[in-house]
Amino acid sequence: MPLSEVRPDAGNVLVELRDVHLAFGRTAVLKGINLQVRRGQAVSIIGPSGSGKSTILRCITGLLKPQSGDIFLDGTDVRALKSEAELIGLRKRVGFVFQQYNLFPHLTVLENLVIAPTRILGQDLASARSNAHALLERVKLGGKAHAYPGQLSGGQQQRVAIARALAMQPELILFDEVTSALDPETVGEVLTVIGELVQDGMTCVLVTHEMRFAEEVSDEVYFTEAGLIVEHGPAHKIFSHPDSERTRTFLTRALRGEEQGRRQTNSFSPISFDRLKFSV
Amino acid sequence: MADSAYTDAVPLLPQSALVLRQGRTWLLLLLLAVLLGLLLRSGILQLPLLKDLLTWSPALLLGMLANIQISVLAIAIGTLAGLFIGVLQLSSVRLVRLAARGYVQLFRNAPMLILIYFSTYVFPFELHISSHYVSFPDWIKVTLGLALPASANVAEIFRGAMLSIPAPQWEAASSLAFRRTQLLRWIILPQCLRRMLPSWMNLYSTITMGTALASLVGVHDLLDTAQIASTTVNRVDFTVAIYFTTLLLFFIYCYPISRFTHYLERKYAFI
Amino acid sequence: MMDAWLSKIVAACKGIGLNYDFLLAADERAAFLHGLLVTLQLSLACIVLSLLAGFLLATLLVSQRRWLAFGARVFVELTRNTPTLVQLYCAFLVLNMLITQALSSSVGNPLTPFIWVVLVISLHKGAFHAESLRAGIEAVPAVTLEAAASLGFSRRRQLWLVQLPLALRFALPSLINNLVDLVKMTSVASAIAVGDVTYQSIMIWTQRDNVLELMLLMLFFFGVLTYAVNLAGRWLEQNLRMPGYGR
Repeated sequence: MPLSEVRPDAGNVLVELRDVHLAFGRTAVLKGINLQVRRGQAVSIIGPSGSGKSTILRCITGLLKPQSGDIFLDGTDVRALKSEAELIGLRKRVGFVFQQYNLFPHLTVLENLVIAPTRILGQDLASARSNAHALLERVKLGGKAHAYPGQLSGGQQQRVAIARALAMQPELILFDEVTSALDPETVGEVLTVIGELVQDGMTCVLVTHEMRFAEEVSDEVYFTEAGLIVEHGPAHKIFSHPDSERTRTFLTRALRGEEQGRRQTNSFSPISFDRLKFSV
Repeated sequence: MADSAYTDAVPLLPQSALVLRQGRTWLLLLLLAVLLGLLLRSGILQLPLLKDLLTWSPALLLGMLANIQISVLAIAIGTLAGLFIGVLQLSSVRLVRLAARGYVQLFRNAPMLILIYFSTYVFPFELHISSHYVSFPDWIKVTLGLALPASANVAEIFRGAMLSIPAPQWEAASSLAFRRTQLLRWIILPQCLRRMLPSWMNLYSTITMGTALASLVGVHDLLDTAQIASTTVNRVDFTVAIYFTTLLLFFIYCYPISRFTHYLERKYAFI
Repeated sequence: MMDAWLSKIVAACKGIGLNYDFLLAADERAAFLHGLLVTLQLSLACIVLSLLAGFLLATLLVSQRRWLAFGARVFVELTRNTPTLVQLYCAFLVLNMLITQALSSSVGNPLTPFIWVVLVISLHKGAFHAESLRAGIEAVPAVTLEAAASLGFSRRRQLWLVQLPLALRFALPSLINNLVDLVKMTSVASAIAVGDVTYQSIMIWTQRDNVLELMLLMLFFFGVLTYAVNLAGRWLEQNLRMPGYGR
């Protein structure tokens, strides 16, 4: 059953971006972004690589600071938060799942899930553990509690990452191209989990290249290109009869599978610590 | 490594300060020079101290020259011997391989000081060549003593560089009908030498610092000269100054080598 | 009974031309054994202290406070690019003398040469450890740190709970290399008359002129020590392994 109709229980505005500008040095990445996410909504941000989609997500959670514009999370002005403690307070309410290298490789799956609730939220270990097991069941990885991330497939790691974000009981979860680095076979299992989350009423913002999934799961879609929102609206409208020519071109190419989305290779490689071996 | 796109907006990731590139280092040095000038003018820093240092500086520099001489010769001999031993480690004869490994293990695990003492005592005071007596100076003994661990480490660096060459290179070259020796000479060795460079420079730095040990066996190097100066002038402030000057001189020689090594490492990082 | 056994060995060595007579003299033998003990003590003390210093310096090197990072870097570069012996002289002949002068004659200088050697070598090797750890810290993927930040980890927590554990695992081979160097470096203690095995050997061979024999003993001893350190390193590597990592 498609969820693309606006759900009647979508509540007040949870996230709002107003005219946000951000530049890295001299390169302008966001050139005036206006975005709104209501509580309970699922919003997708689509667009070509390099259009600033991931940057928007990082602004919402305070990982990046824009030069101008306003960002509000449930009324709190994110840009006004100065101290690290305030930023942490913000980040406790927002979950984030990244494309790769999410999990802590030196901890088991269970330890990954338990470390933040115990250290940051101050939960006691026993309840954190039982919550963690429940979450693992929810993402269908109940038996993997004592495995290390390196022993899991990409799809399994991403599901653990989603569970870890959920363990903090956030009000909102941001997904940054979470399936772009996965093998096609494992993409489906991650998308299923996200779909179930949306159905349960979690507010989600997804940056994704999976067009069919975005169409199926989102309430609202934003199409960005070169740092600007070209078009936005309800999912069924954007995907079937978008207003802008550029949106149409992009969607045609994307749905034809030509725009695969660049696989981001992280610059970490095993060579770096192999070279440390002969320090004569 | 840190993704530079993110560090511009909010510095989330660690930064390592590069010393001489930053303007503040030069500012600090300038301040130090001004402070020195002020101290001189006010009379707190006595002129005789600087006069004494200047008097001794030619001797110090001569001593430094001895250190450099020893280090350059030791690394030269060590590199040649080390490459030879490195190639021996690849021999098809098992006994030769084992002997080479044994040599490397022995001289890598031995402290440099012990090897220097060893070479100083084992080699004779003079050589009798036909009817001539040729003196076997101490500094040559130290050089040979340092060449031993240098060669062992070069062999080890060589082995490491060999191992880091991807297996497909060997296969590709073999499939092109290269013989083993040709393969080594034209394909593998050039790549090896490039990979060895940063570690080799590191080794040179280590050997240079090892030359300071020569003072313990009577070679008139920089440290020995400093000790002589200190006991000759016999003043507390001079002793302090001369030893820290010695430290500074070694630093001035070794630090550029270290920076150059870093530059080389970055340049050849992904070969 | 022990003496008879020892005599047999010494006799056997004499057969192949090696003079180990000093082992039969009780005082010289005791001195040599004491030297072995001192070297062991130096090695252990320096290993522990240098690792502590290394960790501390590494956290300073990657600190966000520029002046701390700068100061740490100056210290690291100074100690890495100057000979240990010179540092030892600066510490012992200069600083120690100044301290002795500063303290009144009733309060003696509590710092023995042994302590100075431990301090200098620990700081010297600590700088090398710090460099290795820094490289390890910077090899942690940026995204993993962002993931930690997004979970609400403060920068300090990111360092201690994510960067340092991973850096330790990445830097382990390098750290073990440094520790092997450290064990060898303890022989410079002989320069300021700390009674380690090198010093005792010098004392013995100036009397008996059996440099080669003592050399063999020392090489064997250091070989065993470095082997032990390597073994410990390999054991650590096994225990700190992250299963499946680096695929």
